[in-house]
Amino acid sequence: MVKMTLIARVTDGLPLAEGLDDGRDLPDSDMYKQQVKALFKNLSRGHNEASRMSVETGPYIFHYIIEGRVCYLTMCDRSYPKKLAFQYLEDLKNEFERVNGPNIETAARPYAFIKFDTFIQKTKKLYQDTRTQRNIGKLNDELYEVHQIMTRNVQEVLGVGEKLNQVSEMSSRLTSESRVYADKAKDLNRQALIRKWAPVAIVLGVVFILFWVKNKLW
Amino acid sequence: MILQLRVKSSSGHDLKPIAAVESVSCCASSRPFPLSHSLRAIVNMENQGYPNFQARPPPSSSSPFASAPPPGVRPQSGGPETVGFRPPTRPFTPSAPPVAPPVGAMRPFQSPLVSQIPGQGIRPPPPPPSSNSFPSTTYGPPGGGSFQRFPTPPPPSGPPPPQTLAGHLSPPMSLRPQQPMGPPPQSMTSGVPGGYASPPPAPGFQQSMPPVNPSYPGVGGPPQPSFPGYPSNQVLQGPPSSYPPQTGGFAQHPGQQNMHPSYAPPTSTVQALAEDFNSLSLTNIPGSLEPGLDRASFPRPLDGDVEPNSFAEMYPMNCHSRYLRLTTSAIPSSQSLASRWHLPLGAVVCPLAEAPEGEEVPLIDFGSSGIIRCRRCRTYVNPYVTFTDSGRKWRCNICSMLNDVPGEYFSHLDATGRRMDMDQRPELTKGSVEIIAPTEYMVRPPMPPIYFFLIDVSFSAAKSGMLQVAAQTIKSCLDNLPGYPRTQIGFITYDSTLHFYNMKSSLSQPQMMVVSDLDDIFVPLPDDLLVNLSESRNVVEAFLDSLPLMFQNNVNVESAFGPALKAAYMVMNQLGGKLLIFQNSLPSLGAGRLKLRGEDPRVYGTDKEYTLRVAEDNFYKQMAADCTKFQIGINVYAFSDKYTDIASLGTLSKYTGGQVYYYPGFQSSIHGDKLRHELARDLTRETAWESVMRIRCGKGIRFSSYHGNFMLRSTDLLALPAVDCDKAYAMQLTLEETLLTTPTVYFQVALLYTASCGERRIRVHTAVAPVVTDLGEMYRQADTGSIVSVYTRLAIEKTLSGKLDDARNVIQQKIVKALREYRNLHSVQHRLGSRLIYPESLKFLPLYGLAICKSTPLQGGPADASLDERCAAGFTMMSLPVKKLLKLLYPNVFRVDEWLLKPSADLDDLKDVLKRLPLAAENLDSRGLYIYDDGFRLVLWFGRMLSPDIAKNLLGADFAAELSRVTLQEQENGMSKKLMRLIKKVRENDQSYHPMCFLVRQGEQPREGFLFLRYLIEDQMGGSTSYVDWILQIHRHVQQNA
Repeated sequence: MVKMTLIARVTDGLPLAEGLDDGRDLPDSDMYKQQVKALFKNLSRGHNEASRMSVETGPYIFHYIIEGRVCYLTMCDRSYPKKLAFQYLEDLKNEFERVNGPNIETAARPYAFIKFDTFIQKTKKLYQDTRTQRNIGKLNDELYEVHQIMTRNVQEVLGVGEKLNQVSEMSSRLTSESRVYADKAKDLNRQALIRKWAPVAIVLGVVFILFWVKNKLW
Repeated sequence: MILQLRVKSSSGHDLKPIAAVESVSCCASSRPFPLSHSLRAIVNMENQGYPNFQARPPPSSSSPFASAPPPGVRPQSGGPETVGFRPPTRPFTPSAPPVAPPVGAMRPFQSPLVSQIPGQGIRPPPPPPSSNSFPSTTYGPPGGGSFQRFPTPPPPSGPPPPQTLAGHLSPPMSLRPQQPMGPPPQSMTSGVPGGYASPPPAPGFQQSMPPVNPSYPGVGGPPQPSFPGYPSNQVLQGPPSSYPPQTGGFAQHPGQQNMHPSYAPPTSTVQALAEDFNSLSLTNIPGSLEPGLDRASFPRPLDGDVEPNSFAEMYPMNCHSRYLRLTTSAIPSSQSLASRWHLPLGAVVCPLAEAPEGEEVPLIDFGSSGIIRCRRCRTYVNPYVTFTDSGRKWRCNICSMLNDVPGEYFSHLDATGRRMDMDQRPELTKGSVEIIAPTEYMVRPPMPPIYFFLIDVSFSAAKSGMLQVAAQTIKSCLDNLPGYPRTQIGFITYDSTLHFYNMKSSLSQPQMMVVSDLDDIFVPLPDDLLVNLSESRNVVEAFLDSLPLMFQNNVNVESAFGPALKAAYMVMNQLGGKLLIFQNSLPSLGAGRLKLRGEDPRVYGTDKEYTLRVAEDNFYKQMAADCTKFQIGINVYAFSDKYTDIASLGTLSKYTGGQVYYYPGFQSSIHGDKLRHELARDLTRETAWESVMRIRCGKGIRFSSYHGNFMLRSTDLLALPAVDCDKAYAMQLTLEETLLTTPTVYFQVALLYTASCGERRIRVHTAVAPVVTDLGEMYRQADTGSIVSVYTRLAIEKTLSGKLDDARNVIQQKIVKALREYRNLHSVQHRLGSRLIYPESLKFLPLYGLAICKSTPLQGGPADASLDERCAAGFTMMSLPVKKLLKLLYPNVFRVDEWLLKPSADLDDLKDVLKRLPLAAENLDSRGLYIYDDGFRLVLWFGRMLSPDIAKNLLGADFAAELSRVTLQEQENGMSKKLMRLIKKVRENDQSYHPMCFLVRQGEQPREGFLFLRYLIEDQMGGSTSYVDWILQIHRHVQQNA
């Protein structure tokens, strides 16, 4: 069952349209929306070039296709046939390109094509039930092949960028810390030296003074 | 180990101080520049717009008002100081006639006068006086607007040269009916202009006058003429022989209750004073209302709402006053000053007010740079921010934080510090802008406009024809609903059961589903109850066509309102939208069931009385809170002729930012048009969805309370699920710091909303007001309309927790306190005698105060208005914008029969026709035909002696019938057509409500009483006070502790 549908521009992650009553009956829909946004952000940075991909998240799975610099994404139950999900996205893509094709690049504000939500709603209803004749027909359609589409985990996908960031952060932290360490070590060294030789120097000094006094007096 | 620690701490120590020093130095280096710069900018700006304006406070604290100090401060300023004052005044009155300098030169002792002049700088420069030889005339016009209403009397013919002083004094005197202290008969004499020239009233004389005795014996003194040229005046009379006594008593007016707006007694001090405030001389004779009393000169807002526009002109970059009106455009600088200002300190905001053609709010897209806002206080960029550091930084005008300018927004500055691209940036030149919001301002995609109808279809709904009218109107509006093609629509009907309608687009007829389980409501279908209008258009139309027929024989009288509301909530809570409820009877089943209360007269007048005006069942408030949370705005249409408990139903509207429409005893033949227009307006006007509003203001002040129909989401965030141009919100502010140090205070209203087209937008209105240290200046800049607006809301809120009497008293006391303070302000310097003085800006305040007390929610006792009417009017008035509220409080009455008889008259001369009359029965001529218009009702009042021709022409055959059964229809003659055109025009002037037309004939009781006479607020009606008595009461209270 389709839970959520979003369409965004890949170049900058600007959301273009969204299914309207998405998130209904979904307790943590906000969290998933955040994930989708993070995913779009990753895409706009050019991290995942694969034009078709499935990403697992909790009990759900994101499917998305990227075509003409637009990403069509839907969130479904894991049990929902992959084939149907992608055909759903194909349908959306065809209609979206037909209606809004020329304006996609020039859209400046978020949800510039929010009017498309009526079509999303309509199409979604067609795909809601996997057992309708129409959908069974689509499932059996051998021509549409989805097996080679990669499935990854959302942590993995979102993690790629994060990890890189972490590594660079860590290395920079290391260099700065090592510098601090070197400074401190030098300082310590000096102090240790002082500590080590100060008593001796003092004793020697006292002895010399004593000698000197003795020489002077006697 | 120890060593290591020590090292760490010492190194940390080394670092921090350096950073601190740096930040301090950078502050120190950067701050002075932008500040002085901003000051200069303001000064420049003013000078451009206002070459000769002086009273506007320059930013430095005292200098602006030094010219108009609190009178007590500098009463005895002698010659030298006068000289010091004069230079500033001169540059600003270049257009003044050359007479001005001589005045100062000749009369150096007139320091108070001179010192007051700058304060008048705002007002129009004096016109070239016709009587140039009298210096005083130069001062006349600035004395106030009302002064100009009365023609300047001809210069006294008598006294030549030595009369420089006397002649100078004469005009005010002639305007002023004088009463001797002596025996009453002499009081008949009046101000023949030249007459006063002979006695030399020295300035000192006036001051030596004994205080006025309020209960002067000369009660029986005949009425006094007041102003030459004023229609109701008596003929000037009086033998010259009576002058001497008059001069002795000119400060007093025994036996009289005259109001003398803006003219002065002949001494220079008082004259100077008269320019500062208006006065109204009356001695206190309770209950004495002699015939011929000069009521005509009482101040009346016959020109409608007069906005103080001096500030609009002074700060051209402020938003228009239709969006934001401060109660006073001068913010007090300290808490002590604020506490002496007894009027409300706040603002009335109407964020979406309709702008006339050509003044639409510009729409801005910041694009990739994002919206420019202050990092600290989140203020939006506005015309008052200043750019520094060659355009790389900008300083927030509200919290003076220095922010970076994003690269995309960067622009070079020219030599004066202006941005080069200023002209292309409306947000830097206009006080009101609309910004397209990026995704950060959305918690979900913009919602479509959603209209959900909850319609009571019980017996009375069908019988009254309400169903028919509503269904027709909704159908006719389907094309005009905003937001095509996303608009969604849905219906639930109910009587003792709930009926849901499946409107799936593939159906040809809607399917009805009946749910009779009221205790455990469920929605029978997950989808298709709320459908896309463009797709299901045919089904919706089929439904609306069949709706009246389906229930025309319904005999069910029950109303399961609560469960129906819950069901509607369950259908709508995914997306929100607007819920329109059509309720015909008292909710009688299920949750939210209401009892017939208010029938018990014993409750009235007791401490429990207010409970009748608040929601009975907590269910309503809870539902309202839930609805607001899910962006559902509720409008209630109530139709019953019996008690429906509007107090409870209206709660739903109150907390969801909605509106209550009340049609008592709805009959489609009578009220059909009204419902049709108002429902159509409600459905088709531009609406802002899922919005929130916040108003920010400068440091040191804070908005502390909000009044209107909305829900507060946090301390200062107003949640408004659906808001439109007909809603206004009032708020009051308090000073948080004891002393404001900034020269000006900025206000910024921001409304974040979803437009019907699916765009998320932010509407930003910015305004600035100067901070003043002088109470007098605050009074001068007061805005009556805004104050009245706040007072009305306060009074209505008071009725929800106390008795009506208390609410009325509160209003009176507040006015009294304010006027008393004002009196104290001036009584030190001037002998005020028994005159009631008030600032020019507040001259209508007492009258409006009276109007508030006589308005439907507050008037009289239980018998004067039904509980439902009261509550409905209360809910309506809580959300009315200023202008509409003032019109409702002091309605228009104008005479039309003469205009109708004029053969060639066309609508072009409408202005002459719409000359408003004072709301008193004495102004109605029984030979005339009058139209009363308060924005909600039109009443055609036929005088008893009105020529039968007119009545026949207008009413056709049944002109002699009882008018309650006659409706006004267009007849086949020119006169009737003309009248209908006029009425149409009046209705078009204000679209937000459709005034229903009532016909009433003089003497036709009791209809005349409750339709018309009751609303003549200046008259005494069954226990209520008349305008004169009201003024007297206020005056008495003011004097009590003065």
